[in-house]
Amino acid sequence: MSQRHPITRRTMLRGLGVTMALPLLDVMLPARGLAQLAGAAETGAGAAAGGALPVRMAMFFIPNGVNIPHWTPASEGAIAELPPTLASLAKVKDNLTVLSGLALDNAKAKGDGPGDHARSAAAFLTGAHPYKTAGSNIKVGVSVDQVAAQKFAGRTKLPSLELGLDRTQTAGNCDSGYSCAYVSNISWRAADSPMPKEVDPAAVFDRLFGANSEHLSSEARAKRQLFRKSVLDYVNDDAKRLSRSLGASDRRKMDEFSTSVREIERRLEFNRQQEEQIANEAKELGVERPESMPGNMTDHMRLMADMLALSFQMDLTRISTFMVARDGSDRSYGWLGVNEGHHTLSHHGKNPDKIEQIRKIDRYHVEQYAYFLEKLQSIKEGDGTLLDNCMVMMGSGIGDGDRHNHDELPVLLAGKGGGAITPGRHLRYSRDTPLCNLYQSMLGAMGVECDRFGDSTSALKNLKV
Amino acid sequence: MPLLRPCLHLLTAPLLTGLAVSLFAPSYVIAAEEPVPVTMEVLQERFTTQVQPLLEKYCYDCHGDGMAKGKVALDKYPTVLSIQANRQAWLHIADTVGQRVMPPEKKPQPTDAELATLSHFIGETLDFVDLAAPRDPGRVTIHRLNRTEYNNTIRDLLGVTDFKPADDFPADDTGYGFDNIADVLSMSPLLAEKYLAAAEQVLDKALGNNDPLARKKVRYLGRQLEGRGDGNSDGDLQTNGAMFKRHNFPAEAVYEIRIRAAQDKFGDEDARMALRIDREQVEEFNVAARRGDPRMYIRRVKVPAGEHRVAAAYTNNAVDSKNPDRSKRGDRNLHIDFIEIDGPFDAQAAQQPTTYSNIFFKKPGPGLSDDECAHALIEHFASRAFRRPVSSDELNGLMDLYKVARTEGKEDFEGGVKLALTGVLVSPHFLFRIEHDPVEAGDKPHPVSPYELATRLSYFLWSSMPDDQLLSLAKTGTLSDPKVLDEQTRRMLADPKAAAFVTSFVGQWLEIRNLESHVPDETKYPAYDEALRISMQKEAELFFQTIIKENRSILELLNSDYTFVNERLAKHYGIEGVKGDEFRKVSLEGTHRGGVLTMGGVLTVTAMPTRTSPVKRGKFVLEKLLASAPPPPPADVPALNDKPQAIKAATMRERLEKHRENPNCSVCHMRMDPIGFALENFDAIGKWRDMDESKRPIDAGGKLPEGETLDGAGSLRDVLVGRKDQFVDCLIENLLTYALGRGLEQSDRATVKVIGRQVKEDEYRFGALVSAIVHSEAFGQRRGPHPPEQAASTEAAGR
Repeated sequence: MSQRHPITRRTMLRGLGVTMALPLLDVMLPARGLAQLAGAAETGAGAAAGGALPVRMAMFFIPNGVNIPHWTPASEGAIAELPPTLASLAKVKDNLTVLSGLALDNAKAKGDGPGDHARSAAAFLTGAHPYKTAGSNIKVGVSVDQVAAQKFAGRTKLPSLELGLDRTQTAGNCDSGYSCAYVSNISWRAADSPMPKEVDPAAVFDRLFGANSEHLSSEARAKRQLFRKSVLDYVNDDAKRLSRSLGASDRRKMDEFSTSVREIERRLEFNRQQEEQIANEAKELGVERPESMPGNMTDHMRLMADMLALSFQMDLTRISTFMVARDGSDRSYGWLGVNEGHHTLSHHGKNPDKIEQIRKIDRYHVEQYAYFLEKLQSIKEGDGTLLDNCMVMMGSGIGDGDRHNHDELPVLLAGKGGGAITPGRHLRYSRDTPLCNLYQSMLGAMGVECDRFGDSTSALKNLKV
Repeated sequence: MPLLRPCLHLLTAPLLTGLAVSLFAPSYVIAAEEPVPVTMEVLQERFTTQVQPLLEKYCYDCHGDGMAKGKVALDKYPTVLSIQANRQAWLHIADTVGQRVMPPEKKPQPTDAELATLSHFIGETLDFVDLAAPRDPGRVTIHRLNRTEYNNTIRDLLGVTDFKPADDFPADDTGYGFDNIADVLSMSPLLAEKYLAAAEQVLDKALGNNDPLARKKVRYLGRQLEGRGDGNSDGDLQTNGAMFKRHNFPAEAVYEIRIRAAQDKFGDEDARMALRIDREQVEEFNVAARRGDPRMYIRRVKVPAGEHRVAAAYTNNAVDSKNPDRSKRGDRNLHIDFIEIDGPFDAQAAQQPTTYSNIFFKKPGPGLSDDECAHALIEHFASRAFRRPVSSDELNGLMDLYKVARTEGKEDFEGGVKLALTGVLVSPHFLFRIEHDPVEAGDKPHPVSPYELATRLSYFLWSSMPDDQLLSLAKTGTLSDPKVLDEQTRRMLADPKAAAFVTSFVGQWLEIRNLESHVPDETKYPAYDEALRISMQKEAELFFQTIIKENRSILELLNSDYTFVNERLAKHYGIEGVKGDEFRKVSLEGTHRGGVLTMGGVLTVTAMPTRTSPVKRGKFVLEKLLASAPPPPPADVPALNDKPQAIKAATMRERLEKHRENPNCSVCHMRMDPIGFALENFDAIGKWRDMDESKRPIDAGGKLPEGETLDGAGSLRDVLVGRKDQFVDCLIENLLTYALGRGLEQSDRATVKVIGRQVKEDEYRFGALVSAIVHSEAFGQRRGPHPPEQAASTEAAGR
């Protein structure tokens, strides 16, 4: 466990931060600390790639499908020319893999009637078919990020980081008899427990880089940790005692509570030793706590992306999900000249004006993705860049918003996954190849043993040549 | 699990479709008044002998005997029970057959009499409630406090008025249309972390070593401000409007107010920002600073003690997105980073903070050791926080925290108590509303404990914890006495805390809350701004508060001759002679308005940003007022063609008619669209209009499948009033769902029926409705778990 070598590990990481300015240090980097760093990559492709650098995964979710013709490269194999929607990815083209033909079978109705948006989001990372309910008994499956997060719990400050840009809509039904939980979450810790996303950059900052602007002496800090630990111990005992006196469904709620409390305890344990160093490093890297919610979507998304990049760089987490908007989102993109809502437009009925508007939205989403990838690519790590050790996926659980189909999904994958992926290509798979095959491969690259995930049939073929 | 919503109802709207002239229609009306003494056996007998043969004859070719076209197989339902358990499917079947969408034209058609037999049977079967059978009160899962409940509970527990920690918690998921449904209120590490941090902050705030008159800087970040931004980005003003915060000024004194702001420059002027205190303008700033390089705008001002609204308002919005010269297009915006309030500067006379003395109501001293005193203080606090007496075990655990703080943390007496209180605020007994089943009850219904009843009541009517009076009635065991219960209900409804009921229940039932995220297109509806939105919200709240306070008839929700407006809203409604920001009751005579349906807020949230949507409005009426929502549309339906040419070429009505040429669509649209068209005279922000946007006269006429003709909002009101019993049942279903915090089930139908009768007997008064709910078995009791062996002991529960 990294906790045994906190100082070494953090010292090394500070080195990482500085490498951006002082390439000289980069030479020293592999020689020290790395072994501790990734007690992490003891197995898996990261190790195979020669370094002990950890592999990270991030999944960006976009709602309502895309306009596929402008998204898909003309030919398979090496990407000669980027299609119009993906044009902004030019600078990271060599790190990009475009995957066509993947399908999310469990987002299909299967006799449950309408509700494609809820099913699309719910199945996106779980590969499972959500149980149709507007209220009780929500149930889908554990999502791929959480499978990985559970495996790496304790290695990093946060096992995973769930990000998003919009808060849940709090009134009205969400989609045709499906609970809002399905529409607004893609990450599921257990089949009935979504991981809510954080939308406030300041709160993300606090979780990643420690206590906000508090200037506590280390003595005061130690005392606060002691107090928090004592409080959580008390609460845990309380929950345990209470649980014994409850019926089954109540007990499930209490288990959910206890699990959450234990997770906080674990974070505290981590904090106690390292909070201060992390805060200092963040300062050295010039990160400031965002003071207010950014005024527009672009700033909001980029700020979140910046912090995510930093959390990968500092190895505060290795796993993240990012919901650009909830499925079925009807957000309008006024600054692009798109005044109708996204969902409304996605039912374009082949109307060329509306399709053009959809393309604008698609292009915009890809631009933000490109921003994040360029950021990762600009950060040195080991002999290459941070992006080399990442797998950053972006996709939708719906293919074409007008058809509500769940095959021919738009899926992009960036990074080399520590050597597990040979990017720069457009790969087309036979119709109905499960999207979960990709997840099985991604878990493999992370070093998580996995014979099957969701409805996967095997690992995704041909990702590496 | 069988869901009750969206339809408990059947006798009226859906089933009569296409049968308007049927012989049987009048008999339904009678049936609705006086339930036919049918039994399950009678129904089953009728099903086997009369109905099943019809299904076999006309339907099974495609929907039975192994065939399941469109995934519909009618032989899946061999019994009356199985039909009742699938009411949505059967309501749709009734509609489809009633409108002769099925069987298809080329197949043999049932006679009118056969059709009537079928519809009559489905109606009676779905409406059948055995009132004599024992009622199942259901089980509510332990219930995590949602964000509203958490904020209010903290306010009442500690007396901290200006602090809403839950505003930063992740949004609560909703179920059955409400955000207080126990089953879907989940826990996550993120939330647990926030609970811990909030507990610490709350106590710092309540106990802090603060002299209330010491100079203090409080900064409200953009995202903490109230008011409307562009829907997603707080702090941002893209249209004229205000961002504000209610701040508690500790004393009458001079304060310095600093606003950090910047503009997006467009046109000749800089953005102008007014600083207002309680809507009174104190200063207007010219905000020349550009976004990315904000500046501080500062003003000192004398403010009286107490809570005041401090607002930064944007007053000169300009936008041009249509200019043929692209370089001249642009959008002026105002962005507010934060509002900071610093002071007081010259305050006099100190006062003891009450929050502090509420908790430290006694001090250690001669005859009272530190530990004894701590014990008493912690017991008092925990009993209120847990909404019941604490057990000695629990108290010991809390005393351990006190001791850790004193010994290991070297804290003083207050510091020790504070740590124990932190434990209380993170304990599941505080964060969850927990109910226990006594072992001896097995799986049988049993009354909830007096403390649990007090808690159910207070979260229903106040969205907060029980006050001392409720707790002491629970202690003496008299709360469940029907007379006491009624007195308490009346008292609670009269209390200002009942405002939470209006904003939470009504805000969600009628979706008024969605006004906060709904943004009408600013070029098409430049009149819509922050002031109008707030006024719309306020109108709905005042209207409901009046019905509650004056115990008026809930039928006024459908049709009233009065409403509440201020100058801004009066202007919007075309009502003359109203001056100023104050709201007042006005007569609606001579206007086209009356009831909730013609309120600006409802009309706005049921429209699209760029146009009205008769479909959305029709669905709203069916779902929210009549509990007979149509099933959702199939996935591959194209949306309306909204190209400018299309809008020019055809009216909304013509476009929608085209849209529903497909008979599968028309089944539902025949019901929704006429209702929406009757409201077409109200545009997408609820303003009256005689012409549509292409200057053609509005046609608000239409015909319902049941036969009534509609022409405008007035006729729609008449139809709704004619279906008042259906409306009342719909309101009961919604209110009961909210009151219990769980979805209704088949077994709750009897409860809804009984409450409906009581409400009717008392002239539909609101008070009767609430009283009937709190006296119902579902509210006062719970059932033990199935199977009974899962019941566990209550030893640790402090019950």
